[in-house]
Amino acid sequence: MDTDASADQRELLDVSRRFMENSCPLRAVRDGVWRDGSFAASYRRQGAELGWFSMFVPESLGGGSISGNGALDAALIAYHRGRGLQPGSFVGTNVVAAALAAAGSDELRAAVLPALISGEASASWAATSSGGGGRVENGVHATSRADGSFELHGKKAAVQDIDPSTWLLVTCGTADGPMQSLVPADAAGVSVTPLASLDLTRRFAEVAFDGVHVPATAVVGEPGTCGALIERQRAIACTLIAAEMVGAMDQDFETTVQYAKDRIAFGRPIGSFQGLKHQLADTSLALEMSKAIAVAAARTVGTDGDEHGPQAASMAKAFVSEAGIDLVQTCFQVYGGIGYTWEHDQHLFLRRITMDAGLFGDGAWHREHLCQLAGL
Amino acid sequence: MTDTQMDVDQFRAEARAWITSNLERRPAGADAEARGVRTDEEIVAARALQRRLFDAGFAGITYPAEYGGRGLTAAHERAFREESADFVMPDFGAVGGVTVGPIGRSLLEHGSPEFLQWHIPRILSGETIWCQFYSEPEAGSDLAGIRTRATRDGDQWLLNGSKIWSTGAFHANWAMCLARTDWDAPKHRGLTWFAVPTNAPGLTIRPITQINGTAEFCEEFLDEVVVTDADIIGEVNHGWSVTQTMLVYERGAGESGVSLMEPRELAPDLVELARRGGRTDDPAIRQAIARAHVADYAQFHLGARIAARLRSASTPDPAVAAYSKLARGVYTPLRARAAIEIGGSDALTWPEGDDAGQRPAIDYLNGRIVSIAAGSNEMQRNGIGERVLGLPREPSFDSSIPFNEVLRKSRGWNGRVG
Ligand SMILES: Cc1cc2nc3c(=O)[nH]c(=O)nc-3n(C[C@H](O)[C@H](O)[C@H](O)COP(=O)(O)OP(=O)(O)OC[C@H]3O[C@@H](n4cnc5c(N)ncnc54)[C@H](O)[C@@H]3O)c2cc1C
Repeated sequence: MDTDASADQRELLDVSRRFMENSCPLRAVRDGVWRDGSFAASYRRQGAELGWFSMFVPESLGGGSISGNGALDAALIAYHRGRGLQPGSFVGTNVVAAALAAAGSDELRAAVLPALISGEASASWAATSSGGGGRVENGVHATSRADGSFELHGKKAAVQDIDPSTWLLVTCGTADGPMQSLVPADAAGVSVTPLASLDLTRRFAEVAFDGVHVPATAVVGEPGTCGALIERQRAIACTLIAAEMVGAMDQDFETTVQYAKDRIAFGRPIGSFQGLKHQLADTSLALEMSKAIAVAAARTVGTDGDEHGPQAASMAKAFVSEAGIDLVQTCFQVYGGIGYTWEHDQHLFLRRITMDAGLFGDGAWHREHLCQLAGL
Repeated sequence: MTDTQMDVDQFRAEARAWITSNLERRPAGADAEARGVRTDEEIVAARALQRRLFDAGFAGITYPAEYGGRGLTAAHERAFREESADFVMPDFGAVGGVTVGPIGRSLLEHGSPEFLQWHIPRILSGETIWCQFYSEPEAGSDLAGIRTRATRDGDQWLLNGSKIWSTGAFHANWAMCLARTDWDAPKHRGLTWFAVPTNAPGLTIRPITQINGTAEFCEEFLDEVVVTDADIIGEVNHGWSVTQTMLVYERGAGESGVSLMEPRELAPDLVELARRGGRTDDPAIRQAIARAHVADYAQFHLGARIAARLRSASTPDPAVAAYSKLARGVYTPLRARAAIEIGGSDALTWPEGDDAGQRPAIDYLNGRIVSIAAGSNEMQRNGIGERVLGLPREPSFDSSIPFNEVLRKSRGWNGRVG
């Protein structure tokens, strides 16, 4: 995806790519091996050994990245994860690690960061809520108590890959603005209800918070004024999810182009018909633009002191979300009837990409967000 | 330290020093694009200014030093453009970009040393302007189907035929002209490029009025126009390889066409239009503004990506350059439409003589230039589909038979392919 990747970056990517191909090829994804808890745990630990969860954490806290630009390194991994429709909470764990590194209490960092970096535990960002779009504080409300602790009430939706040992970063509203806290998925008052989802390659759940007690040490960022931190988390999430989408798009497109060369109708390959050729050329352009914008967002988000990260990430998410859905729809059309069969992999891409397009704000949400970021 | 080793920062400092003490600051609000065609006086002024740049060593920064350029890299050129962005620079209009872009670059790759020795310094010093005699009334997209004829006449050549849509030909001193030299060869293998002086006897140039009311492109008639072997660019009957080079640059392989700076500010022109009409709260307008901005940003990064891909290839492929061209061809008219929607009546009407006010309307009328000129969107899609994605070509019934026969058959076209 990144034409300028360094030799070190390429090597890291190669090792990660081989790991994914060996441990969780598309067939295994389709069979749902990742639903098994012990597989998920070992997959996560092996990914962690390849540095998957350390890239947004500074070296002083036990993290580090290859190139010095953690967001870019992570986006390149995310791209390959997307190609193979890889399972697990890669985006969520990295967002949470970044948030803790930036704003977690010392206790919280000491207790949680090493476990996330080593893959002992996973994390998920409880950001989405019914009707909330990209407004990540919606759905759950916190009330403060005199001792500095909080109590959470409400529901989050489409929270990804929760195990009992998963840490949930819950973003919610208070009377004075947004606040965030880190809550174990098995905490008292938390109930996790698995949901059926369009995507067949990851697990999603509704999470209800019924008077969940949050000690002051579990608060992440300054309640009421943690807007910039949330914006940063959203930028990381959108950058990584856009990169995963681009990987999935690239893979789906490659196999579709091959099909257009192989499938014969009217005595010639269907890809020779201009009606399809031009759709594929337009799709290829949108894909190249998606790669370009995803890399640009990752570079910006990962550059210290560059304040354009939220904008770059929102632009990438807005563009790639729509290009992604256009792409899977075009590929579907090129396949004809075979693309409508369960056996064929096309629908796995259709499902995952469409799901990603809607997570953390769809194109329309991010366009409005861009206007707001610009003060319009 | 030789020029080729000079680092960009050092060059930038040198450029800045020269620019600030030699060039005038650009007046605020100057909008040459909305004005269109340059007048003769403006061209005279542009030539004089170009000459000063040339004498100071700032013309043809990436052109070889042996031909009067500076022999530096694209990064140096970029630095110069950044430093000079707020100053009055030589402005020849579209024909200036054509001269140092697709034409200059193709000449460098295919012209003989003597040819280049004569022509390139004149181009860089502003003494000569060039235009493109490619398209014809009966061949545009199908450039290899041109019918202008070059016939041997002793030790010279006679050109006969007509050309059309040549941008800025009335300002040009020379034209890069494609002609057929072998009618019995298949269409791509009987073509030759010539440098034609525009004041040659037998050459008539007539401006054509465009939909925006100006007349920048022209039609030409060539009636026994004499050229010599010294005017040949590349080799006789091997013109198509020159064309391939030309198309890479025409499609914006260099930095041309791609905006200089990453567009970080939310589409300022569109925001301004929305403000003027008091429509900044309208969700549909906000969506349109942000959509255009995201596309600008994606296009900018696509341009950089494609330029890098072309630089790393041993022979830059016009089909790869087609990505940036197609992006512009698709997004430019969409953006122009968005401006009309956002501006409403403020975009559709404006005070007489208000350059800035008429900009949305002019952009709208000009929006499809880039979708048609220099290879239509459809041609870019063919190129990407066939040469990058490797999809099988359409059955072609004209590329392997003598061109004479193509002409004969097309007259009796019976609807059957092959
Ligand atoms: C503003 C402007 C400036 C120009 N400047 C110059 C210049 O300086 N010098 C010069 O030589 N020319 C110039 N041109 C000409 C330009 O290059 C041609 O207009 C262009 O190549 C298209 O050719 P055409 O107009 O003959 O259209 P046609 O080739 O007739 O095309 C008409 C339509 O058919 C489509 N079409 C054609 N072939 C195919 C195919 N194989 N598959 C699918 N669709 C196809 C086209 O995409 C288009 O939509 C200029 C044009 C414009 C508008």
